[in-house]
Amino acid sequence: MILDLERFRAQGRPRWNKLESLLVLLESRPDRRVKPDEAELLQELYAQTATDLNRVTHGALAPELRQYLERLVARAYAELYYARPTRSELWQPRRWLRIFTAFPEAFRRQSRYFALAVLITVLGGAFGGLAVRYDPASVDVLLPADYLRNPSLRVHHEEKGQARHLDSGQMEAAFSAQLITHNIEVSLLAAGLGVTFGIGTALLLFENGLLLGAVAVRYTQQGFGLFVTAWLLPHGAFEIPSILIAGQAGFYLARLLLRRREDRNMRQTIREWLLLIAGLAMMLVWAGLVEAFFSQHHAPVLPYGFKIAVGAAELALVTFYLLLIGRKETGSEEGARVPAES
Amino acid sequence: MIGSQPNRLSTSAELTVATPEGVLFRLPLAGPAPRLYAMLLDTAIVLAAVNGLGYLVYWAFAKVPGFGVMTITIAEFAIGFAYGALLEGFWNGQTIGKRLFHLRVIDQSGFPLRIEQAWVRNLMRVIDALPFAYLIGGISVLSSPIMQRFGDRVAGTLVVRETPLAASADEIWSHQKYNSFTEYPSIAMRLRRAATPELASLIQDALRRRNELAPYARREIYRELAAYLQGEVAPFPDELIERLSDEQYLTNAAGMLFGDQR
Repeated sequence: MILDLERFRAQGRPRWNKLESLLVLLESRPDRRVKPDEAELLQELYAQTATDLNRVTHGALAPELRQYLERLVARAYAELYYARPTRSELWQPRRWLRIFTAFPEAFRRQSRYFALAVLITVLGGAFGGLAVRYDPASVDVLLPADYLRNPSLRVHHEEKGQARHLDSGQMEAAFSAQLITHNIEVSLLAAGLGVTFGIGTALLLFENGLLLGAVAVRYTQQGFGLFVTAWLLPHGAFEIPSILIAGQAGFYLARLLLRRREDRNMRQTIREWLLLIAGLAMMLVWAGLVEAFFSQHHAPVLPYGFKIAVGAAELALVTFYLLLIGRKETGSEEGARVPAES
Repeated sequence: MIGSQPNRLSTSAELTVATPEGVLFRLPLAGPAPRLYAMLLDTAIVLAAVNGLGYLVYWAFAKVPGFGVMTITIAEFAIGFAYGALLEGFWNGQTIGKRLFHLRVIDQSGFPLRIEQAWVRNLMRVIDALPFAYLIGGISVLSSPIMQRFGDRVAGTLVVRETPLAASADEIWSHQKYNSFTEYPSIAMRLRRAATPELASLIQDALRRRNELAPYARREIYRELAAYLQGEVAPFPDELIERLSDEQYLTNAAGMLFGDQR
């Protein structure tokens, strides 16, 4: 049926204008507490405008008017059914600090994906290590850079020289920033490649493990096991867990996308992914600083035993942090969380 | 509750949202082109900001250039992600580029997007930007019924076009002095009954774009439309038709369909 558009417009316009100005008021100041009469008015105008929209939808002869009413209904709908976070909520430092406990909690909730990441990395490492051990020719393929292929040369350079770079704190600072951004980017890639159903994440982890295994075996074979441990452990203690957590986030995302249709509380689930990313980014900042300022100094300056001890201490710290922080609260937290969220 | 359908009448897709009250409303989705322009503009803004900051840092860290490089490297990286995430998160789904190109990011169920979603979709740019020039993101947008890049799929968001908010103005057919079709109420009734919404909006568009069409094209389109209406939908008597131009015929028909002479 066709309704009389002119009359319809004339009758509707006052209430549409009223709704529009109410929406502008509510949208511009999310902090303001909505008064009961405003809420009532919003509800009423929303219902009326929705009815108006239904009438033009069935008439379908006034595309503009329909579009206008759709926009109006969409905005009112969002205002009615969605509670915007208020500004004061967002700027509570306490909420932001909670990330330090929320990250290990998320890590533990999704630990099976972490286990999968570890498994694939270990497989890659074993493959790389065995290849270098039993087929020396594979070194040229597996280890792209010259310094990785010829450990003795590299060790010589590192121990004697220090001349290449890093002779000053200046260069180390610049170097650390590059490391931090590069590592975070690679981790984001690993975590984001979850959209390939985890295949991309798995490949990335496998390659990473392969390189690690090959380097470790190559250096150990040539008698530089101590050197390479002292070289890699201080920053590796944070860096390697971070890339594993990135893999964990990637697999978590893959699982999420696979079962998305059935049950998705997107709000909770995507927050989990974000927490893992935020946590690993913090770890990588530390790893980058250590790698630039500490790892690159070798024996005469810093004894290997000391470097390894520092690395081991860091490893213990990371393990403690990831496994134990926030643990006591988890029991009481479930109960405490509900009122906090509402 | 949420469905989507490509709309064949217009050139873009739309999202249809059903509210708990059973009201349906559609949101027009943004295509890849305006999103690309908005992104280019945002990129230019970020680059300008980072460069400006670079000079500042260079000056401030003149004595310790290494730390200057460190600061600027990290700042550049952080701004790259935070620009989109913070602006979209706090500015109701819009960056400067999106605002200028009338785009907005929203939750895929029609709500405003949340801050977590803004972060997720911006962090996922590392995937969408692969292998270069947002190729993956572009393919994802084109292959998705609701035009989502991977970041949008993961975050559960989509980009809508902000249609101008104004109730429609009066049209020529609503203030006609006299509509000769009113002399034939039964045929006019048949026109109203038989005209599908598509046909009606076609007539409306043809008249509304009168001044955009080249004279030749206008003549052809109006002639075809009028002939179709006269031949297939509602044949008015010949003595009336002879007095009317095709344009007048269509204006009269529009007056019958949309106007208040009923």
